[in-house]
Amino acid sequence: MPVATSECDEASLLDSEAMATSKNSDSEAKIRDFEQQALPLMPQLYGAALRWTRNPSDAEDLVQEAMAKAFVAWNQYQQGTNLKAWIYRIMTNTHINRYNKAQKDPSRGGLDELEDWQLGNAESITATTTRSAELEALDHLPADIIRDSLLAIPEEFRMVVYYAVVDGLAYSEIAEIMGTPVGTVMSRLHRGKKLLRILLAEYAMEQGYLSSEKVEKNSEKS
Amino acid sequence: MAHLDCEETKALVHEYLHNELLADQQNDITTHLALCDSCEQEYDLEVYLNQVIQRSCDEAPPKQLADKVLQRIRDIQSH
Repeated sequence: MPVATSECDEASLLDSEAMATSKNSDSEAKIRDFEQQALPLMPQLYGAALRWTRNPSDAEDLVQEAMAKAFVAWNQYQQGTNLKAWIYRIMTNTHINRYNKAQKDPSRGGLDELEDWQLGNAESITATTTRSAELEALDHLPADIIRDSLLAIPEEFRMVVYYAVVDGLAYSEIAEIMGTPVGTVMSRLHRGKKLLRILLAEYAMEQGYLSSEKVEKNSEKS
Repeated sequence: MAHLDCEETKALVHEYLHNELLADQQNDITTHLALCDSCEQEYDLEVYLNQVIQRSCDEAPPKQLADKVLQRIRDIQSH
């Protein structure tokens, strides 16, 4: 209890104390709200951050940065909408601002067209294998090879593949997160998966899990 | 019902697997896959690759990360 020297002082003291308490409980409520809703998303946020940054310590930084920004903007989040997608969008912007500035040179433009020749090569590799052989080979590939191959494809493709396949997000949500039209999401998913299949097929061939023998037999037939 | 050829069917593999097609298109592809081994194999491979990717990308966040985030938020709030 505060010690008051007069009735008047006591009244104003209690007033300001009450205000401070209510302000305090507001901010406690905000923290609690955020904690209850956003913190359970940590595994998914960290997973996406790993795909963006390609290493655990930068991924931790990115999650912290995105969460801090999400907290500051918390009153802009519309309750009932997809919170994970909302934070992912913040994470995309944070990452692009923090890590990609150096890469923003004009020669990087035209990414979506650039890979056509690569995909051409790629297709010739998977064209010489059978689907069932490719499927069987996947069983021999360790998880870190799968992860590394995903990290090896261009960022824009990698993130779309990740959001669609691992997070199961709809094209429209991915479009919003990445700031692109839905058609771009579609073509990046196709190209990303194709590139990934090539990389995995190349690795499997190197390791002897996959060969093009079967195809030679097939083409003899035809 | 539209008749889809193999090229059209293979081009829609991801949209089909991610439920991004209209019901009619989805049905057309289901029908085609039931009748076409080559397309079915292509679809099976993509389904399996998706499962393999999901299984591989399961790294847990470091235990302290949640605490660091909470601390950061409390710092922001107290300023």
